[in-house]
Amino acid sequence: MSKRVAIVSVAQNAGAESADNFYDQAYRVAREALDKAGLTREELGTVVTASSDIFHGGISCANSYYWETTGAFLKNASRQDGESLFAFFYGVMRILSGQYDTALVMALCKGSENPPNDACTLMFADPFYQRPVGLTETTAAALQMRLYMEKYGVTREQCAKVAVKNLDNARRNPYAHRKGDYTVEAVLNSGMLADPLTELEAAPKSEGMVALVLATEEKAKKLTDKPVWFKGYGSSLDAFFLGDRDLLNGQLGNAAARAYKMAGIGDPGKQIDLAEVTEPYAFQELMWYEDLGFCGRGEGGKFLDSGATAANGSLPVNVSGGVLANNPYVSRGLQRIVEATLQIRGEAGQRQVDKQVKTALAHGTHGFAGQCHAVAIIGS
Amino acid sequence: MGRAVGIIGVGQTHHGRRTEMSYPDLVREAVVRVFDDAGLTPADIDGVVSGTMPSMMEGIALTHFYFADAMQAVGKPILKTETCGSTGVSIAQTAYYWVASGMADCVLAVGHEKMNEGNAQATMTTVVEPFYQRYFIAGAPGVFSMQSQMWADRYGIPEDKIRDAAAYISVTHHDSAFDNPYAHVKLRVSMDDVKNARLITYPVRLLDVCPTSDGACALIFASEEFIRKIGKKAAWVKGVGYRGEEYFFGDSDKGVWQSAVQSAKQAYDQAGITNPRKELDVAEVYNPFTFQEMLFYECFGFCGFGESPDLVLKGIFNRKGELPCDPSGGVLCTNPIGATGLIRVAETVLQVMGKAGDHQIPGAKLALSHAMGGVDQFNGVMIVGSEL
Amino acid sequence: MAKEYKTLMTEIRLPYEISYGATWTRFFEGMAEKKIYGTKCGRCNRVLVPARSFCPRCFVDTTDWVEAGQQGTLTAWSYVSYRYFGMPTEPPFISALLRLDGTDVDFLHMMGGFDMSDFEQTRKIVKNGMKLRAVWKDERQGHILDIKYFEPA
Repeated sequence: MSKRVAIVSVAQNAGAESADNFYDQAYRVAREALDKAGLTREELGTVVTASSDIFHGGISCANSYYWETTGAFLKNASRQDGESLFAFFYGVMRILSGQYDTALVMALCKGSENPPNDACTLMFADPFYQRPVGLTETTAAALQMRLYMEKYGVTREQCAKVAVKNLDNARRNPYAHRKGDYTVEAVLNSGMLADPLTELEAAPKSEGMVALVLATEEKAKKLTDKPVWFKGYGSSLDAFFLGDRDLLNGQLGNAAARAYKMAGIGDPGKQIDLAEVTEPYAFQELMWYEDLGFCGRGEGGKFLDSGATAANGSLPVNVSGGVLANNPYVSRGLQRIVEATLQIRGEAGQRQVDKQVKTALAHGTHGFAGQCHAVAIIGS
Repeated sequence: MGRAVGIIGVGQTHHGRRTEMSYPDLVREAVVRVFDDAGLTPADIDGVVSGTMPSMMEGIALTHFYFADAMQAVGKPILKTETCGSTGVSIAQTAYYWVASGMADCVLAVGHEKMNEGNAQATMTTVVEPFYQRYFIAGAPGVFSMQSQMWADRYGIPEDKIRDAAAYISVTHHDSAFDNPYAHVKLRVSMDDVKNARLITYPVRLLDVCPTSDGACALIFASEEFIRKIGKKAAWVKGVGYRGEEYFFGDSDKGVWQSAVQSAKQAYDQAGITNPRKELDVAEVYNPFTFQEMLFYECFGFCGFGESPDLVLKGIFNRKGELPCDPSGGVLCTNPIGATGLIRVAETVLQVMGKAGDHQIPGAKLALSHAMGGVDQFNGVMIVGSEL
Repeated sequence: MAKEYKTLMTEIRLPYEISYGATWTRFFEGMAEKKIYGTKCGRCNRVLVPARSFCPRCFVDTTDWVEAGQQGTLTAWSYVSYRYFGMPTEPPFISALLRLDGTDVDFLHMMGGFDMSDFEQTRKIVKNGMKLRAVWKDERQGHILDIKYFEPA
């Protein structure tokens, strides 16, 4: 990359249900991101948003509804569907094209207005084969979890410990929706969702207006003394039919390899200081450790047990509480970037880690059992 | 403008009522054709952009999953661009930025819709604001009728004249569709047929309105370096523009439609176009409604405000005229919405490459494509040329 | 004509529960009292109706509540003579944009209060620029259809 792109400000709202309407909630977060960057609406170059019609209060063509709430009146703006890291990358692309010097990237989802998550994820399935037999993200994850445990001897306790860690971390995150001091037993006894998954091992349904402002290097230096730089990005899509896929060797390795190549990362376990991953189901965080190259194949459980990914570990993962604590479906990928940015800038408040964070990874996934992954690397 | 970007392949389905085929197979038809046209294989592709209308249209959400295999996108980076009716042109612009930014060398763009599988009008209604406006906006025809009516009133265009000009557009576009093998509606109509067709929302009658189509379109975008390396002819992207207005219908003036005016201006500025009517050789204007097409001519600077009906009736914008508009038959004859904007881009690519067959405008070198969307809110423009 | 092939009939219903938020809650409380509220932008001084929490163009919070006039001027209209999902009444009816007195944007509602069964007759009555006034329902519940329609004033 000849040119550099920086994150100059971030904003988000709390994940718990709010009495605000979508329109007002979105405006306030966009306004906050622009104010923190010291930009007026008129000065803003372009806007890229992420949302999903089905996670959008039953209103179709999502960005029609919220167009002006993101400051986009008479601006060149666009939208990504399903995954907000797509919007982050598209914002970066627009700046690298040389046509814009600033971009507002925003993800919008108000979970409290929507049907249950799996009423929506069922709609990702085709109407002929997979939907009539009830394929949802939860049922797909349950199949994946059992395969994972059986193949590698990962235990249910190890999976539950992800929830224990993340919900505890969430206690220090004022934006987190679900948080608490749970034991492994409490997680395992929290009620069966789809065996072997329990309720506390699956993400809730949260509010999430998440925004950040991107700028060219030249502009960033004028707007902030703490720019956080875009270093790399990769994504990868898997096959459609669940039965066509290898659920234990999916596309995350592919997506990460692309991001690492762009960022010049050869040894992710050493070069990455902190990660925020999308773990809608607790065990998936263990699988993602492996796919991201933080540990060997099948060793995710041991890696967690070692304490490496705890908030005070060598490679903290989901210090924010992750998606188990806050799950605004479409917005969760961008929320990972926002959390990673706060850590790099040393602005994460009570959840700030002790070690210095120079390079951080943000990950997003959506679809059945990690059907599509996106990875972004940012750094100081 | 970033790196130079060219379009090197076009694939579209035979649009129509394609009930003999499943939706993934329909998408695949366009994808197979784009690879054939470009002489490339999926291994050449660095990334895929897909998009469609909202989930309610066919009852399937996040369709990039459903079409991962049909688009040959498995294991590829993906982006999913959706901006309502303007989705097609937004997909093209995403692919353009992906290459222009240097983040990819060769990108596949795919737009699709299988409208006959759902209730298009009911879907459009779910786009509209639910507390205040949803009841009163009679789908797309209602909004666009009000806009046309506002515009005609603003410029004092006599009702008979505007009716005649709209009928003329309907007749000529329906005729053109016979020369486009991929067009959906092939129907010979007369001025009287149009003027006496069933009233939908005044002043719009049945033959002023686009059909409900199934179809897909695919394009391949590549960097200059990639194109030189494979030694292919390309249509070069000269300008991209896009603008949006407020969601609440009534907040902004639709008689002089700023999002249309400014999206074209952004693209013209990039392409160095100062006199579009003279410099452009052909335009594919997104025209689901005949009346609205005239407003676009004016917003895009093809003529002054209030002047288009006279010029239409003089034949300025027909296929032998000074600036032929929609020689493909346009949206009026083919409208699989998520693909429609991309089809506009595809048609301009065919024109400047001299590959438009029976509806070729001889010698076309510079062409404008356009799409519109939202609640009368969004306009996007792309300009392609035969020379870099 | 294409042949008819085998198709699957399926229907999807999903429940959504959409928040009004503070600004729109107040607007609809006003409707129950036969009042149409707008909000004013302190920067561009436009009065927006229905009330908005922020100005879409200036991107700042609106500052004041303003009661809009019950009368307005017709800006654009469409005679709707087809059926669609979610329509407010049986066709034909007239969908209308009007500029309420004391406001700076157009308000969307419908026209009524006269016989519109014949289109040619209707066209003679309905003209842009004509004055209209709100006709309220007797039983109101804080809903946009608490206004039955706008009739020629």
